[in-house]
Amino acid sequence: MTRRSFLGRLGATVLGAVGGGAVAAAVAPEEAEAFHFCGHIFTTDSCPSPYRLPRINRAGYPLRPRDGRPIDNLGRLVNGSGYPINEAGARLIGPDGRPLPKGPRTRICQDWVAERFHIDARIQGSWYRCCNNQIRKLVDCCSRSRRRINGDAALRGYCYAPRNVFCVMYYDTGIPC
Amino acid sequence: MIETITPDVCGSRKRQAWALLFFALGALVASACVGALLGLAGSRVAAWALPVAALLALVGAAREGGLARVPLPQSRRQVPEPWRFKLPLPAWAAGYGAGLGLGFLTYQPVATFWVACAAAVALGRPLAGAVCFAAYGAGRSLLLLLPLRRGSEATAIVEALSGRRGGVLRVNAVALLACAALLAAPSAAAEPIPLGPGSHFDPSTIGPAFAYTQRNLGVSSVIVLPSAGGALQYPDAESPSLDGELLAYQYAAGIRIVRWATGEEVGRVDGVTSKPALDWPWLAYRRALPDRTLLELRDLTTGEVRRLGSVPVGADLGRPSIAAGRVAWHAAGSRGSRILLYQIGSGNKQVVMATTIALLSNPSLSSTRILWIKQRQGISTAFVRKLRRTRARVLARVSSQRTFYWTTDLYGLTAYVTRWTVVGGAARILRIEL
Repeated sequence: MTRRSFLGRLGATVLGAVGGGAVAAAVAPEEAEAFHFCGHIFTTDSCPSPYRLPRINRAGYPLRPRDGRPIDNLGRLVNGSGYPINEAGARLIGPDGRPLPKGPRTRICQDWVAERFHIDARIQGSWYRCCNNQIRKLVDCCSRSRRRINGDAALRGYCYAPRNVFCVMYYDTGIPC
Repeated sequence: MIETITPDVCGSRKRQAWALLFFALGALVASACVGALLGLAGSRVAAWALPVAALLALVGAAREGGLARVPLPQSRRQVPEPWRFKLPLPAWAAGYGAGLGLGFLTYQPVATFWVACAAAVALGRPLAGAVCFAAYGAGRSLLLLLPLRRGSEATAIVEALSGRRGGVLRVNAVALLACAALLAAPSAAAEPIPLGPGSHFDPSTIGPAFAYTQRNLGVSSVIVLPSAGGALQYPDAESPSLDGELLAYQYAAGIRIVRWATGEEVGRVDGVTSKPALDWPWLAYRRALPDRTLLELRDLTTGEVRRLGSVPVGADLGRPSIAAGRVAWHAAGSRGSRILLYQIGSGNKQVVMATTIALLSNPSLSSTRILWIKQRQGISTAFVRKLRRTRARVLARVSSQRTFYWTTDLYGLTAYVTRWTVVGGAARILRIEL
């Protein structure tokens, strides 16, 4: 039994005792996204990103959590050149009838966290879980801050000293498991 | 406490007058500070604070109207009596005034004070908060000062008010209802200007006229609405910029400058140029080259051209704004965005703000303020700030992955912001009073 499934079953048992089966069903291990995201339950919070879930590509740039398509910092789908596109892949048109220019697309940890929290942040540690039948790489965004994004004391996690985990992200590898 | 500031306690009528003066000063300063701090805190909260404050005002009105039983946060402490014996008169009198002026340290018989706190946070304007809360401190002081003129005692006023508690509650209920209505009103102030069919964007205004781009069925035209009435249309044109009796706009062959009332041409800039901003004799505009986009500033009387900025193809150089000897524009790309300001007189260029994570765009200038749009994570926000200050104020905000703010204009204390929706592409111009 993994830590995730154990915690999921423990939570379901406790809630089931006080709130009935309907509530217990909401915290079944298979639906652990409700806690945080698959592979990561209720500890360090997500890094800030265009969507609630901090899905990134290999280089740390944001992806749409639902389907892994690249997005810019505004949450718009973008093509390979960085121009905003619609679901069908056509360039988005502005109110003046012209294609929209590029918006910023920067790295969640190194750029977003660094600017929003005024800290020096970088990707260091990572670990792996099986999510949706593929290997998910969970990534620590590490900083020298003594506090993590939750506001309480930061933990070392998989970061190298003297850095601690500030927030977490994930990368779906596409490798079956 | 009221009994404390009397000739007997103070030692003489002259000392009583000094005590009242220091009391009033303490109350005014303390209450103004509370208002300023609440406004400062509110400048960092989201726009949803306004409806929340309006709701609290409604709940408060229901409480004072006897329709609901809602407990209030209370501190039933009194001002420390030992101060009067240990401290000099100016210190204890000012301290008593400050203690009462803060409001939340003493008993509050009605909900109005707490609703005022919520409203100050929601408005997010420290100066306005300070002024409004200073009135609270003034009220506390008047309770002591008024009896002096009438020759009566302050305790008599308090007892009279207690005897008319029903009336006091009704007055507060009416005031809270008015407060709720006023707090809900700002959203109506940001409603779109009714301009007819099609999309409307690129606002530009001066005293006697308002201009914008209208796009209908794929065709763009510039509309000028003189304040005297009527409408002037310039077909196959876009991106208007008004300056007095002159209008600059973009058309197929470049940029034209005309007298908007007659259509008489005053000047033109040919080539692949766009997005003019006119402040005679200066014209700022964008020029597209095969590998770069330039921002140029031209003196239309001498022909002198200055290059203000340049970005490679793929990056965006935004619609410039020109006013009072300054030019503002944005530069944005995949690595971040910046708002830049150029002083025509000195030739100095400065980065007003820069970010690697948000899209800063479409600034506009007045003689004292700058307005710009910031987009990030599905939130589009219009900010305004005075040019000599660093703190910005949220003017409008929309939270959506599909709706964004676009071009802007600023004239005096009125801001114009284009709001458009990706799906359907409809754009509307909002008018917002600062």
